[in-house]
Amino acid sequence: MSFNRKNAYLKMAQKGLLDMLPLNLAVLPWGVLCGSLAIQRDFTIFEAILMPMIVFAGSVQLVVIELISDNAPLATILFTAFIISSRHFLYGLALREKLKNLPLKWRGSLGFLLTDELFALSGERQSYKSKLRLIYALFAGGSFYFSWLAWNIIGIVAGSILPDLTHLGLDFAIAVTFIALVIPSIVNLSILVTVCVAAILSVVFKVYNLELGLVLSSVIAMYSGYFTSKMQIKSNNKSRAMLNKKEEKIL
Amino acid sequence: MTLITIFLLACITFLTRYLFLHPKLPLQIGPRVERFLNFSAPAVLTAIWVPIIFVKDNTLDISLTNPYLLAATLAIFVSLKTKSIYLTLAASMSIFIFLQYIS
Repeated sequence: MSFNRKNAYLKMAQKGLLDMLPLNLAVLPWGVLCGSLAIQRDFTIFEAILMPMIVFAGSVQLVVIELISDNAPLATILFTAFIISSRHFLYGLALREKLKNLPLKWRGSLGFLLTDELFALSGERQSYKSKLRLIYALFAGGSFYFSWLAWNIIGIVAGSILPDLTHLGLDFAIAVTFIALVIPSIVNLSILVTVCVAAILSVVFKVYNLELGLVLSSVIAMYSGYFTSKMQIKSNNKSRAMLNKKEEKIL
Repeated sequence: MTLITIFLLACITFLTRYLFLHPKLPLQIGPRVERFLNFSAPAVLTAIWVPIIFVKDNTLDISLTNPYLLAATLAIFVSLKTKSIYLTLAASMSIFIFLQYIS
């Protein structure tokens, strides 16, 4: 391997780490919460560590820990986890064309690391399209994995001395990172429509406690955005046609 | 028993993330669906953060005593002005902690 190429790989790895760093920090309170909750709900240390290590999903962990400690039926636990996790289907679909032809080691590892946070950094047209971009994603997603694990372990170790953290507002930091990612990305009308529809519907569904609300509001919002952009293209074409006609008349 | 549950949960989260990346899946994504899917990031991320701000225990809270609301409003302004995640986090988190402290 030439020195230059190695250098470029290193640069991309570094950029991945740096881009993910604020998100890694923002999930610290949430990770500590998940870890400590597992201990407080009588999980063994091994079980509590396995959750972030192999399940690796904040909202699933939080809900499922409560369900398991309430002795909910296994089918309920798995179904709830499936519904909460089903938003990831959208991420897989969105990245399918870019990732499906890669070797298994890339598909498998990036698939495992495909969290909300990694997907949020995958928006560029060129993402995943070169070895450099793959390394970027691997380091961004990988650093998120190890941070999540570390924050959970802190929660597990401190779990018995920490108070119940579930009502301290530790989810706010996550909301802020998503605000900071979404708001600057609103660069045209169709994205604005998407965001507004998602905002209103997700709140309505949440108030009515609909488990599928997140995915449902997202899909309707995506369609609203798509529909808006289609209408805009149509009306642009129309006005262009009218302009052409006027020009013809003048000539 | 809990161990088996955790392994099954791991299978579920991995399945939902990996399934559509699998090449053998008989599924072709046309240009229209692709344009539709381009809206997934703003849609899903918004549907995650907005309820955190507005909904407490399944009731809508749009009062001025809701610290989430004031701090999130500040976060929106800071992110529009600076486009920096760090500044947005720092400004809104300090206001949020302050509001929780005085309430």
